[in-house]
Amino acid sequence: MASRTVEVAVGVPVLAPEREVTWPKRTKTRLSNGLEVILAESHTIPKFHGELFFRSGNAGVADRAPGLAEMTATVVRTGTQKRASRKIEEDLRRIGADLSAQAGSDTSAISFSGLSEFAEPLLGLVQELVREASFPETEFERERRQRLEEVKLQRRQPGFLASERLRKVLFGAHPYALVAPTEAQVAAYKLDDLKTVYRDFYTPQNGLLLLVGDFEPQEMLKTIEKVFGAWSGKKPETKPFPAPVHPRGRRVYLVHMPGAVQTQILAGCHAVTRKHPDWIRLGLTNSLYGGAFNSRLVMNIREDKGYTYSPRSSVTPLRQHGFFSVSAAVRNDVVAASLTESFYELDKLRSLPVPAAELADAQNYLSGVFSLGLATQDGLLTQFATVAQHELPDDFLETYRAKVRAVTSEEVLTTARKYLDSANLQIVLAGDRAQIESQAALFGDLEIFDAQGNVLQP
Amino acid sequence: MNRLHIPIEHKKLANGLHVVVAPDSTAPVVTLGVYYKIGFRLEPRGRSGFAHLFEHMMFQGSANAPKMQHIKLINSSGGVLNGSTSYDVTNYYEAVPSNALERVLWLEADRMRALKVDDENLKNQRDVVKEEVRVNVMNEPYGGFPWLDMPPVAFRNWANAHNFYGDFADLDAAHLGDVQAFFKTYYVPNNAVLLILGDVKPGEGMALAEKHFGGIPAGAPPVFADPSEPEQTEERRGHVEEKFGTLPALAIGYLLPKRRTAEWCAMALLDQALHGGRAGRLYRELVLEKQIAVEADGGIDDLFGYNGPSQMTTRILHKPEYSSEATLAAFDPLIREVQGKGISPDELEQLKVKWRSDYYATLEGGRGNYMPKYGLMHLLACFTLFDHEPQLVNTILDGFLAVTPGQVHSVAKKYLRNERRAIVFRTPAKTGLTADAGVKEAA
Repeated sequence: MASRTVEVAVGVPVLAPEREVTWPKRTKTRLSNGLEVILAESHTIPKFHGELFFRSGNAGVADRAPGLAEMTATVVRTGTQKRASRKIEEDLRRIGADLSAQAGSDTSAISFSGLSEFAEPLLGLVQELVREASFPETEFERERRQRLEEVKLQRRQPGFLASERLRKVLFGAHPYALVAPTEAQVAAYKLDDLKTVYRDFYTPQNGLLLLVGDFEPQEMLKTIEKVFGAWSGKKPETKPFPAPVHPRGRRVYLVHMPGAVQTQILAGCHAVTRKHPDWIRLGLTNSLYGGAFNSRLVMNIREDKGYTYSPRSSVTPLRQHGFFSVSAAVRNDVVAASLTESFYELDKLRSLPVPAAELADAQNYLSGVFSLGLATQDGLLTQFATVAQHELPDDFLETYRAKVRAVTSEEVLTTARKYLDSANLQIVLAGDRAQIESQAALFGDLEIFDAQGNVLQP
Repeated sequence: MNRLHIPIEHKKLANGLHVVVAPDSTAPVVTLGVYYKIGFRLEPRGRSGFAHLFEHMMFQGSANAPKMQHIKLINSSGGVLNGSTSYDVTNYYEAVPSNALERVLWLEADRMRALKVDDENLKNQRDVVKEEVRVNVMNEPYGGFPWLDMPPVAFRNWANAHNFYGDFADLDAAHLGDVQAFFKTYYVPNNAVLLILGDVKPGEGMALAEKHFGGIPAGAPPVFADPSEPEQTEERRGHVEEKFGTLPALAIGYLLPKRRTAEWCAMALLDQALHGGRAGRLYRELVLEKQIAVEADGGIDDLFGYNGPSQMTTRILHKPEYSSEATLAAFDPLIREVQGKGISPDELEQLKVKWRSDYYATLEGGRGNYMPKYGLMHLLACFTLFDHEPQLVNTILDGFLAVTPGQVHSVAKKYLRNERRAIVFRTPAKTGLTADAGVKEAA
């Protein structure tokens, strides 16, 4: 509903023929202990990037305590049978390396990067962390207190509160509903529970080691054999979770933040995983809607109306279920106007076919940005890790651009009709109720919560 | 030791525009940047926040590419774009598949030649910028801490001390005449550098630069205000109320030595000794050992990218059971320790390996996975605009690797003195030390 005529540019140089993407050589193998290994050469700088991840994360232990896998990963880096915390940190610095340990919903991972000349000592330390973490009591207690303070602080952040509420609304009893523990849950963590998670998750049969960088793959493989060969352990049993119920009808969830000078809008619905045949079509549809700077959403509520600085939409593919969401932090007096425009653009995608030129632009965008992501070691690592974590076909990356280009305008329309329905979006607003409650109520039945998640009377 | 060498070609066009080409055909993508030597430090008085607001205006239309076309043409070529404003430079950059190289050069040249914006564009972007300030500063715990809180406490020259995001009254007062005057004064080819990195042949890059930018007339050389500070002779303190956060915080900033001196190199390594992640002395002592702080980080922000007074700033969030003074009393001995004993040769060796490793990472990436060579672009631009020497990117590492323990010790004694520092206390509202919001100067 742009109120301004869009003018075109004059004299724009045409695009030269596209150069092919040359894929780095990849070596894929499995050690005798079951550890999968993927190596890819990239000689941009004399360094390498790596990740050792395990196919189990917070969702797998949510019944014991939310965030338990994350807490386990945090404490893993604080001590091994051979090295105390301080020594670990100094040794990393001595070889010019960075390392982090974290867990998401579906995976636990040690991520690292360092100079190629010190690859073996860095892999040696990673090996120690995943095999011989010592879980010192004092380190655990300190990290627990740190986590408590983080958990308290999160409840003051509009972005966190909105995403926490949307997850609860979309996923109900499924572990994906839990994005962070409460203070009481952190206070109740037990060191023995962390050790159990570590013993179950951190095994070679559950793991995959990915390295991208400046090395000779056969030499690197020998180093990996030497460092990780003696490690052993089984794949953990996984519990199936019942599929979440997809909410029908539009409802509004207001998280009250007294004094907020802006409102965080986050609206979403269930979508698909990366493995789903509609994934690429939905990705392209999202890109047209709000996934790029020149998308319809951004052009409308930012460049035309000036309601917000950073509106965007995205499809979040967790391993078992994906969801679509649109977000914008807007001026308090234009919450209703922003929702109306956002839904208008969504409904338009369901009602009218996308013009051919606009579709081609979006296809160019996704295809080009994909190439940009392959230009650095860490970019390549991210792509390979995505394929491995989501168990996508081996040729997923090689065929991605052609698949994007093959999507038709009719398919975009069908996809939008199938997944993006503003009448069934769940709307979360994090802001000051005194400023926005009457606007919120225009869009559906309203529930109001405080930052702790307690229900407030409308 | 495996050293990285970046091939570079550099020339200055007749209109004064510097052009730097760094070819690398590894991936079929190019990164382009245009840097103008004007940042928020030297924006006009009474127009705080204007350099940044102006940066937004550069996306609002030029003579042959009207509003929305810059963004649309880059995205539809398969690329991404952005701009940013910092102390002494403003940059505009794109990463695109290399077949879009000429298109991007055409767009950048079009907006260097003739910005074409109107009142409606200005009102629109003023609204967008206000939401940017709200989302990043006013509605976020510890928003703007300490990068917006520290300058008014630490500095006396308006250039260094004012609100860089801008007071809303100043943003509202800005009009179209300001936009055109700013453009005419600072956005001239002889105050800029064009960078082309990645999948391009040097001859081709230079020829395309000449073709699209060569005809843009030079402007009068901009006259810059003096950013120098009167000498600081005593510690400065200020207080800011924290509206949302749960923990008390403080930031301590020490003035830096002059850019590109031996002292500057030594200070950079001293900074790493103090702030280098979990192995850094401040994190190790305050978070891991004494467990007073929950966060202790910071350091020198963008070492290569400033061209005026700057600080090394420590940022601490601490547990509420410790007072601000108790926290400062735990911080001070760590400074006294490096002043008294310096750092050991072994610690310095560790720091140098890490420094080299980090430097390579900076050159390769820098801003997420979709903006390759951002760091290389930034360094080349700053070395060209401030030092007239883009080749520094291949030699500057030597100065850091040559630092001795004695030099680190002497910069610690000379620069980490109380009379060269400023402290900002950011205290949660309920337990606040001060009743009023806003920055206050203690006696």
